[in-house]
Amino acid sequence: MNNRLRVLRAEREWSQAELAERLGVSRQTINSIETGRYDPSLPLAFGIARLFGLRIEDVFLDEASASPDGSTRRSEA
Amino acid sequence: MTSNPPRPATWADRIPVIGGIALAVTWVGGRAVVGVESLPKGLRMAAALLPVAVFLVWVVGCVRSARRLDDELERRIQLEALAFAFPCAFALVMGLGLLELVVTLPKDDLSYRHVWALLPLFYLVGLTIARRRYT
Repeated sequence: MNNRLRVLRAEREWSQAELAERLGVSRQTINSIETGRYDPSLPLAFGIARLFGLRIEDVFLDEASASPDGSTRRSEA
Repeated sequence: MTSNPPRPATWADRIPVIGGIALAVTWVGGRAVVGVESLPKGLRMAAALLPVAVFLVWVVGCVRSARRLDDELERRIQLEALAFAFPCAFALVMGLGLLELVVTLPKDDLSYRHVWALLPLFYLVGLTIARRRYT
């Protein structure tokens, strides 16, 4: 699952260790999420979104519903 | 949940390693004492059972240490390490058990009685694989 964590962190000039401390996880966890090797649990994903003041879908991108131009597609009823 | 900073490591986090070393030492010592036939039988039996007592303390320490893991990635890595180690040990026991039906394996060398000693090795291999996967 793609995410914007590295960009959001860079915008705030936080190190991985600093972000990890704010979220209560290890720096290894942050690094693994940023590199796409590990998908966080729902509570952690919500915690990340809350920390950045964003919605969870603004941080984590669902590849399955992503359109070719990079924007996310809304589900249709 | 995710708002608390990581807690610092305590001595309780080292129980699995310390207990593992204690278990190995008591097993080697117990095995040496058990082999001395001139000693009283009661002492030899106590030496044989001493590693079991240490083992029980170690198990409790390991379970408590696992419960204290507050980093979800570390929990995943530990789970995958165990998921690798347990089936490996199981397969080895099964394979050696079948093999012993065909040939007699030397009891002091490669016997299914000693597979437990390979479990830490399997665990470390599993740990290495899992860490390389996620980091």
